[in-house]
Amino acid sequence: MSAALEKLAAVEHVEDSYDAVRRRARQHLMQHGFPDLKTEAWKYTSLRLLDKREFQTHAPARSPAPQLPFEGQLIHFDQGQLRAETLQLPAGVRLEPLDAAALADVDYGDRAGALAWLNLARFQQAWRLVIETSQEKPLVLATTTSTDFAAAVHPRLVVELAEGASATLVEVQDDQGEGLVNIVQDFELGRRSQFKHLLYRNNQQSAWIQRTSVTVAADADYRFHALDLGGRLTRHDLVVKLTESGARGEIDGVAFVDSKQHVDFHTAIEHQHGHTNSRESFRILADGTGVGVFNGRIHIHRGADDSHSDLNTANLLLSDSARINTKPELEIYAEEVTASHGATIGQLDDAALFYLRSRGIPAAEASALLKQGFAAAPLENAEPAPVRNWLMTQLRQKFMTTESDLQ
Amino acid sequence: MLTIKNLHVTVGGEEIIKGLNLEVGSGQLHAIMGPNGSGKSTLGYAMAGRDGYDVTEGSIEFDGQNLLDLEPEERAAAGLFLAFQYPVEIPGVNNAYFLRAALNAQRKARGEEEMDSMTFLKTVRQSLKDLKMDEALLKRAVNEGFSGGEKKRNEVVQLAVLQPKLAVLDETDSGLDIDALKIVAEGINRLRDGKRSFVVITHYQRLLDYLSPDQVHVLSDGQIVESGGPELSERLEAKGYGFLEKAPA
Repeated sequence: MSAALEKLAAVEHVEDSYDAVRRRARQHLMQHGFPDLKTEAWKYTSLRLLDKREFQTHAPARSPAPQLPFEGQLIHFDQGQLRAETLQLPAGVRLEPLDAAALADVDYGDRAGALAWLNLARFQQAWRLVIETSQEKPLVLATTTSTDFAAAVHPRLVVELAEGASATLVEVQDDQGEGLVNIVQDFELGRRSQFKHLLYRNNQQSAWIQRTSVTVAADADYRFHALDLGGRLTRHDLVVKLTESGARGEIDGVAFVDSKQHVDFHTAIEHQHGHTNSRESFRILADGTGVGVFNGRIHIHRGADDSHSDLNTANLLLSDSARINTKPELEIYAEEVTASHGATIGQLDDAALFYLRSRGIPAAEASALLKQGFAAAPLENAEPAPVRNWLMTQLRQKFMTTESDLQ
Repeated sequence: MLTIKNLHVTVGGEEIIKGLNLEVGSGQLHAIMGPNGSGKSTLGYAMAGRDGYDVTEGSIEFDGQNLLDLEPEERAAAGLFLAFQYPVEIPGVNNAYFLRAALNAQRKARGEEEMDSMTFLKTVRQSLKDLKMDEALLKRAVNEGFSGGEKKRNEVVQLAVLQPKLAVLDETDSGLDIDALKIVAEGINRLRDGKRSFVVITHYQRLLDYLSPDQVHVLSDGQIVESGGPELSERLEAKGYGFLEKAPA
């Protein structure tokens, strides 16, 4: 058993209603252990970094809330703690502690789910965000850490979107520290609801593990757009369960990794019912010694007839030392199904580079423009527009050294 | 304006241009005609500085500068423009953004003020109108999903916006129907101001009917084997390139 596991799972006596939940989770965790490179779902992502670090149990310092150019209702988790004083919730939305009973039977399986078990063993407070009516302004879920952050924190959130309601959740994750942020989220989308979920992540040295599980009911629509600008060690598991007829899930994401960065996205779309639709497009750009991992699983369950899915992953290797592991994974047990998939890994197109240079654009700028253009594609249909524009600006700033030249 | 002397170009180790000489004066339009594989596109790429088109001998002097010393973007800033035979699609980069980036990069390299966005948009819109292109193309990715004809016309839009001193048009007429051909020819003629020079590379005479070139050159096996007035292109159109096989090298 790894040193990290012992350290991170060590019991802390907190007398509250979650005690039994935590104890149960700890048992599972100790029984299964942490994943290693022999664990299929973790074969490209090592958690050895956790062994090397000493984690504090608390993170008292406070990180500032992100400054955003679009209107939104802020929910700020500062180093794992909810900043209640900055909370701005509109009518029809409430945030409350989650009942321990809701966590009594959760199951994260074997060691592949160890980090989710760890979250359940060590979380301080689980929250429940209930959205009862349609929301015009996006809800902004900010998770931030400061430069002296060296703790292990385990934020846990359930989001419930009422039947027929529509809402947008923008996750803004800005890590400045070198701790462990281990997030577990469960989203439940009521029938005919529409949920836009956008994620912006720009991390430093922290290990950042996130598991988001989305349940989509009849005729409901889940749309996810992600822009991940890299971090020391990031692993994101996104599971979208289409549980009733007419449920739809769409995932569009792009990740950029540079030297000493590692980003791993594991997505799974579970077509559990017939007449469900999904589409996914994911891109990775890897430069320097960066490592990008994408595993896109489409699982069309037995009886989920007349379901349709399309999965596409395109990747750009920008240096000889960068690595990208990408895998579309289709499992189909139903009939009258269409499931298409494609995966490409390439380099910057010489012909395109020359075309831009032949028009007077210097080589460095031309390659920045091509990278940016490649990375922008999955975000082009992101809504709402002000959030999309902000994401595009973040992208431009990442790639352009001389942005002012091109505005 | 342009003086090419004894130019030799190899591509992938194979010599394609084998001692080419060409002189184009200020304000002139020269046509270079020749069969497939004669080295027409190689000449264009070598002038624009594409990697893999290695000049092994000879010189290209352009507007008082040794072109071969310059990077592709420096050649553009110096006033050279190559209209591609196969314009490249650039996904994710919109046309307006690209054009403005190109224009301002060139201006910056020349020590000129950047063009403000109002003037820029006005210029681009006029050029699009002249070439009967939909303004919506500005918001689309460069050449992506454009028809063959739209791509070619888009090259002429870029030419009109960037205002080079010398434009090399590589088979800009290929793939155009007769209406589009006329529009493109008008676009080119509009830019002939007595100073700007053109090298029009083409396989057929039909574009030249509208352009009245000052000189026509025949390129064969990497060399210019014959030069003359517009009557030369008419002869080629009538008799084909078959005579080249018998012509002394």
